[in-house]
Amino acid sequence: MLTASDLDAFLLTLQLAAVTTLILLLLGTPLAWWLAQTRSRLRGPIEALIALPLVLPPTVLGFYLLLLLGQDGPIGQLMVGMGLPALAFSFWGLVAGSVVYSLPFVVQPLQTAFAGIPRRLLEAAATLGATGSDRFLSVVLPLSRVGYLTAIVLGFAHTLGEFGVVLMLGGNIPGETQVLSIAIYDHVESLQYSQAHWLSGILLVFSFAVLLTVYALNRRGFRVSVP
Amino acid sequence: MIHAELKQRKGQFQLDARFAVPANGVVGLFGASGSGKTSVLRALAGLEPDVKGEIRFGEQVWLNSERARSTAERGIGYVFQEPTLFPHLTVKGNLDYATKRRNLARQSIDLDRLIELLELQPLLNRDTRSLSGGERQRTAIGRALATNPALLLLDEPLSALDQDARQKVMFVLENVFQNLEIPAFYVSHSSDEIARLADSLIVMDAGQVSACGALTQVLGQVDGQWHESEAAFSVLHCRILAHDLPYLSRLVSAGGEALLVARQSLNPGDPLRLRIQARDVSLCLEKPANSSILNILPATVKAISKQVEQGSRTVGLDLAGESLLARVSEHSVQQLRLTPGSPVFAQIKSVALLS
Repeated sequence: MLTASDLDAFLLTLQLAAVTTLILLLLGTPLAWWLAQTRSRLRGPIEALIALPLVLPPTVLGFYLLLLLGQDGPIGQLMVGMGLPALAFSFWGLVAGSVVYSLPFVVQPLQTAFAGIPRRLLEAAATLGATGSDRFLSVVLPLSRVGYLTAIVLGFAHTLGEFGVVLMLGGNIPGETQVLSIAIYDHVESLQYSQAHWLSGILLVFSFAVLLTVYALNRRGFRVSVP
Repeated sequence: MIHAELKQRKGQFQLDARFAVPANGVVGLFGASGSGKTSVLRALAGLEPDVKGEIRFGEQVWLNSERARSTAERGIGYVFQEPTLFPHLTVKGNLDYATKRRNLARQSIDLDRLIELLELQPLLNRDTRSLSGGERQRTAIGRALATNPALLLLDEPLSALDQDARQKVMFVLENVFQNLEIPAFYVSHSSDEIARLADSLIVMDAGQVSACGALTQVLGQVDGQWHESEAAFSVLHCRILAHDLPYLSRLVSAGGEALLVARQSLNPGDPLRLRIQARDVSLCLEKPANSSILNILPATVKAISKQVEQGSRTVGLDLAGESLLARVSEHSVQQLRLTPGSPVFAQIKSVALLS
């Protein structure tokens, strides 16, 4: 069964995934909107940059983030200079790492949803007296429902399964930075297979359920019928 | 008045249009495809951010070198060529979207009256994706009007519809224009729609305004690419006089000329417009005594086009104060010695009736 420290790891993981997903939605919405609308030459390079975590080994990402956020790194020094603790080996360090790591899983579904909204609909909304923010809330958001659901579920689930970045950036501090995937690794290392089974089983069932939901939503997802 | 001076460069196409038209009635924007009709309409709506120049709507400045009023602030209604209803809202939801954002500065159009005029009652709870083309376009017109627009802009609203739906939406539009006093711009390349709906006319050609003014005045001109083509036509404003002949109705034109047309279901006194193609009008110096042609009317030659196009010239006639165009061969112009002032008889082979 689950020990107290397993439970801690479980709650910490949920907390990390929730906070990360929230930040990703706030960050990803304007970014995805810009990518869906722009004709700028910067679009290609920025899309590639966002997609990097899809192909890069998480340890590489974690290594660079550690250098950046650690006490001697540029961002770490800035934080220390401002009287704040450095982000490495802290919960917020994990959040920063997870945001970078899961960015493509949120930005890409949103970008696809935004790009699928016919320009004419937004023009029509403007002629009906809707200003920019009004158009976004009254037309773009409701028509991107499926995109948002996919982004939330994928962003959340991907953060749950994170290992390499967390290990490099957060280490393994129980109650502070020890997430589920690391706890499982620990259990296996110390040959506690039944503990590892429990935690792995939970992650497996949860991830499967999440993906099932996403695919079901995508199949039912309504298309916009403007020729 | 609506004054506009619009300049825009889009690849090879260059828009350079200026016009001034009265801010009442229906202004037809007419021309071949690619002539810039839609560009003008989008510029008026503020949907083309790179348009330079000036737009004044009455006292309001919509565009000048310093600032451009945003589309949402112009208080317009726009009906697109293809339907643009919001798919996440019902028909009623689409109408409500407009009323929630309505222009409060103007006296409002009652939504119930609008629903009645456009016959939308049975559609209100429908999903917009289940509507037919005609139903969609009626809803779109209703939605545009529900914002209480100071100006209604319509971009070929009938072009994507089949014949039956077209008749129905046309009928609804006539109803709207007669009952609601909203100035409108109506883009079309169909002479039928223009003849039926427009009060003023702007003719576009290669991004420029080639003619602009009251409908009959613009149609009465003889020079210009369109006026010298087979597509040239005239519009006569008439009233039903009587139905005393079998199969026929007797009409009287605004100038007092009597005409005969196929029997109409309208009542005596009802107005109707006749569209007469210039190529369906021929000229003779004496009134033919025994002719199968029903309408042979005395007229005076006003002007003759300078250019000979495909062996023909366009002759502008004065028909008791109204304008009528005739396409006649250069040979006939010489034979009949037609010059401005010549008295002639115009034989009208066929007319299209537009109620």
